[in-house]
Parts: sequence; structure tokens; C-alpha cells
Amino acid sequence: MMAAKRKVAKKKVAKKKAAKKKAAKKKVSTRRRSTSASAPVQVAESTDDVQRLLKVLCDTGKLIDVRMAALQSLGAAAFSVPNFESVSADYIAALREVSTDSHEQLRRRSLGILMRNKDGFAQKKLLDGLKNPAKALLPPEKALQLLGNDAHAGAYSVARAIVKKPPNQDAKREALRLLAADVKSAPMFEKVLRDKNELRENRQLAASALHSLNPQKLQQQALKILKDKSDYSDIKATSLTALEQFGDDAKFAKDKALMLSVTRFNSSKTPAKYKQSARRFLSKYDQ
Amino acid sequence: MNVELQINNSTAPEARFVTWVPSPCRIRVTDPSGASASTVSVKIAAVSAANGGAVGFRSGTTGALASSLTLTVPTNGTTVPFFVAGRFGQPSTKSGDVKIEARVGNTLVGSSQLMVRIRKNANKLTNGERDRFIAAFAKLNNQGLGRFADFNNMHKASGYSQAHAAPGFLPWHRAYLLDLERELQAIDPSVALPYWRFDQPAPNVFTRDFLGESDANGTVKFRNGNPLEFWVTDGTPGINRTPDFPTSQAPPNPMKEAQTLALGSQFRTFRGMEGNPHGLAHTSFGGSIQDPTTAAKDPLFFLLHCNVDRLWAKWQRQNGRFDPATATSFDERPTSRPGHKLNDTMWPWNGITSPADPTRPSNAPGGTLATSPCVAAPGLQPRVKDCIDYPGAINAAANMGFGYDDVQI
Ligand SMILES: [Cu+2]
Repeated sequence: MMAAKRKVAKKKVAKKKAAKKKAAKKKVSTRRRSTSASAPVQVAESTDDVQRLLKVLCDTGKLIDVRMAALQSLGAAAFSVPNFESVSADYIAALREVSTDSHEQLRRRSLGILMRNKDGFAQKKLLDGLKNPAKALLPPEKALQLLGNDAHAGAYSVARAIVKKPPNQDAKREALRLLAADVKSAPMFEKVLRDKNELRENRQLAASALHSLNPQKLQQQALKILKDKSDYSDIKATSLTALEQFGDDAKFAKDKALMLSVTRFNSSKTPAKYKQSARRFLSKYDQ
Repeated sequence: MNVELQINNSTAPEARFVTWVPSPCRIRVTDPSGASASTVSVKIAAVSAANGGAVGFRSGTTGALASSLTLTVPTNGTTVPFFVAGRFGQPSTKSGDVKIEARVGNTLVGSSQLMVRIRKNANKLTNGERDRFIAAFAKLNNQGLGRFADFNNMHKASGYSQAHAAPGFLPWHRAYLLDLERELQAIDPSVALPYWRFDQPAPNVFTRDFLGESDANGTVKFRNGNPLEFWVTDGTPGINRTPDFPTSQAPPNPMKEAQTLALGSQFRTFRGMEGNPHGLAHTSFGGSIQDPTTAAKDPLFFLLHCNVDRLWAKWQRQNGRFDPATATSFDERPTSRPGHKLNDTMWPWNGITSPADPTRPSNAPGGTLATSPCVAAPGLQPRVKDCIDYPGAINAAANMGFGYDDVQI
């Protein structure tokens, strides 16, 4: 086993040496390493390396894999290159430039980084695209997800319109997620949570949103769902988890109807993966 | 006759946790009835549950571990010291799965259940270990308003320079992880932070039952009943994460463990791992973990960093780099930034803020570092040098109270 390990290590060293020779010929004199699937990723060690990588990122004449690898390396540089602050304005400018690139994966990533940095330019582009799909840089579900990094009133009104008239189910889900940061949405999430015709994924999200916006309301609704014989196993498992994790144990211990419902949930034809939630809940009251 | 076993010199149940590092313990007679002399000979030995942890004993601070120990204990109640350590390779899987029994002759006169609590490979956890970990994490997050919010805020822009792109990167994150782990243990003491080996496939980690499965949009999905379905940060529920690698089959592209450990025997060169593999591990995803200021919104961040810390621990063991006083173990050059020098205290635990001084953050979330019922180190306001000798190899009092399943001490 040890010998085998050493062999592998030796091979790697040999590979690394060969790669180093190649690297020495190129401009970027950083550690190189080839990856199995995509282009080699160079790790920037200085702000000069960052500047060179920014050029690669923006060079539309280069292969997309090479540009994506540059983006991965730039992201890593944001963690580890000393004095990265001095080039961050250039980084943002380059990201804005490639956010309208012809390659969707590059648009997704660059707009993602920009939105996580609460970039106003990206925010405007994404909102414009939601209002006018002909101008959209990303599909609506992705745009909504990214806007969630800096949720505010302007985005809420767009999200509300999408919930009412969703272009697709994923977009509705991401619009709901965005609205979970808006206090005014609590009653809507209560409705979604209890609506048996709603997609269960959206009901699960509504439980999470309600827990964040009005945890007491979630506890009340979770109790009702558990006692409702006609509701679904998955949403019952979510409700049980809400009670078990965040509820008032002493109060539940006295709630005979609840205990009965959970016991029934545990013994009925509930799928095993959800029954586990019932067992976990009941085990708290075993003694 | 009755004796009391004090694990980590404490009678508190929360202190009944050990690692590979010998824990100081005590035994004393609490009920001398039946004793005929001023001392009694007590034999202590351990019994492990099936798949439970295993421990060994020794009477002093040095020497090999034995499977049993005979101690001469005064009947007047005076304590006698001894040491207990987990047997490397046999960590516990749950609380109290190893029991120390004390006997006089064949008569059981006292016992104590404990746990060999060790950080493990997330991909290899038992379902019980996994479920306890995510439940504790979800509780810590509670509505995005629980104590976890501090940990999210600690890793945002204002504190970035206190922890990154400089020598203090490794010690700072060691303290950060320990702070979080102790908060998780305050919720469930049987939890240890698992690590994600980003150089190996981890099909059991990126599942709906554990850290979630990403859809094409980068939305992470959880099984109903996985407490992480209630994860909220900064007011928004859920997690965004788009892996650039097939999570069920292969790891991402950062350098492998063997290469990382071969970065050099000097701290100065080893800390280059901040770029590769650490940085590239972060950027092998789209989503919040990709960017420094949002990375800590994703629970995966803490498993990624646990592996970074483990790699450092492994390197320390391989090269004997535990002495904070030597530059081979920690080299503060070339930095002049506060928080990255050996004797500096670290933000935010030191509480130092300044709106005027650009080298200081404007806020300090979370207060002092969480204390442990088991060990005293690294203190409420750890210095860089308090986070080097984590197993107390040079100074026993420096033991930070954690260990890794595959890193000997
Ligand atoms: Cu960090």
C-alpha cells in the first residue's frame, strides 16, 4: 500500500517537473497543474499574474475552456493573492466585460461573482432582462437566484410578477426564494405551504421562508399539516423537522393529537426516508 | 466502596470527551466504606461498545498507553492523577460508546462513559454521525439569526484582510473552525466537524441527505426532513452551489494531498497552499463558496476548511512543526499587518475595531472564542501562536482539544 502510494507520488513529481519546464517558457511563471477534463489552471501568486489572467479572461480569441480556467484561477487569487484589493477594480471591470460574452457559462459565472459583490451594473442588467426577456443575459431562474444576493424592493416587485405569471416552474421557485427576504411575503408563504396543489418543492421552500419570516406561524402550520390525514409524506417530514428542531418540546409532549398523528405517520405506508423524521421526533418523548 | 473518575479533571458530563492526546484525569474515593487501609488498589480498564471508540491509559505525562492501569488511591478522598487517550484508528461513533471501569479486586467501584471525539472524513461518516452534525448545524443557523450569523459575518469583507493572503491564514481559520465546532458541541457534544477531502470523490457528501444535491441552476436540494432544508443566510433561504466536477464520481482539480504535503518543509513555502489547493477548491464551484465574502454562507465551506486545517496538521506531524517559536513552524515574514504576526491577537475574538485605521475592521462579530469543558487552550482571545501547537506537542497546555482520524500526534 505504501509502496503503491509512493509510486503514484513519484509519477506526479515527474509530471510536475515536465509541466514546470513548459511553464518556464510561458509568461506566467506560476505553479501549473493539468486537470483531467479542462484546461490547466494556473494559480496566481501576484497582482501581475492577476493582470495577465484578466487579459486571458477577456480574450474572445481564446478557447472558452482556457478563459474559464483563468476565471477559476482569478477566483482563487481573490482568496490568496496579497494586495488583491489593488486589482479588484480591474477584476470587476473585466467581469462586467465578459458578463455579456457569447458563452452562457461565462455569463453565469461572471454575473454570479458580480452579484455576490453587490455590483450595481450586474443588478441592473439582470433586472432589465427579467422585465424584457429579449434583453436577458441569463434564464429568469438564474437571474432571480443571483438577484437574491442583494434583495431589495425593486427586485421584489419583479419577483412578485413572476410568481403570478411564471415563464417556468424553476423561475417561480427562485422568485419565491427571493421574496423570502421580504417581510410582507409571510402571508403568501403561509398559503403556498398549505396549498396541496402547489409543487411540493415550493411548499418545502415556503416552510423555510416562513421559518425565517415568522417562525411561530410555521410552527402553527406544521402542526396542522401533521394532523391533516390527506397531506403528503414529504411535506409532513418537513413539518416534523420544523417542530423537532425549532419547536417547544414541552408543549408537544402534552399534545395527544399530535403524538397520535406522528405515531400514525411512523407506522403507515410512509416511505422509509420520511419515517425516519417521525422516529427522531418520537424518540425525544420516549421516557 | 465508590470511586469517582474525573475525565479532563472534571466531573461534568460535557468533559467526557477525549482525542488522541492524553487527557489529564483524576480518580478519588468518594465512599470509603469497606476499606481497611489508608489506600486501596484500583484497577481501571476500558470496555468498548461494538464499533465504539477505544482508549488507553498511562499514569504520567510520558510513556506508552496501556490497556489497563492499577492506581494506589488514598481512602481519604485525595485525588490521584492518570491519563486517558483515544487509540489511534479507533475513534468513537457516538457519545459514551467507550466506558472506563474501576475495580477493586473483581468489584466494580466506579465507571465513566466517554467518547473519543475526532474529526472524520465526511464521506465516511455513519448515518448517525452525519445526521447529528447537520441537525446541530441547522440549529446553530436557526432562521439565519442564530449564532451562525456571527460566523457568516466574520468571513465577510470587513474582516477579510485579517484572515487571508498572509501568514495568519492557517492559524486564523484553525481558530474559526474551532469556535464553530465548540458552538456545535454546545448543541450536541457528540459532534465533531467533518472534513471534505477535496482531492477524492465524495459521493456521500453531495447528497440530499447530507450537504445537498445541486440542480442545473445551482440550487441545492435537500430531502424533506434534512434539517438543512431550513438553512437561511442574510434573509434568503437555501444554498447556491454549482460544482464544476461530477460530485458522485470525481473530485475537483486542486492539487492532491501528496503534492500539498510536498510543498516544502518550511512554513513559508507550505502556506502557499492558500492558493492551491485551498483557493482552487473554493473556485471549483459556482455559487457562494466561490467568493471570499460569501463563502461562509455555504455549510460546505466549513468542511472544505476542515480539510485545509487537516492538511496543515498532517504537514506539521510529518515535519515536526509544532513549536511556535521556530520560523519553520510559523513565519510571519513578510507581513506587517496586524493579526498575522506570531504574538498578535486575532480578530474578531480580540474585539479590536477601528473606523479610522484601515488595517482594522469596523466591527467584530461574535465576541470571544467559545470555551471548551475539556481543554483551556487557545483562550478567549487567541494569539496566532496559540493556534500552532494544536495537540500540545511542545507544551501540553496548548492542546486545543481536536484531532483528525488519519493524523497521528
Ligand atoms: Cu477564509
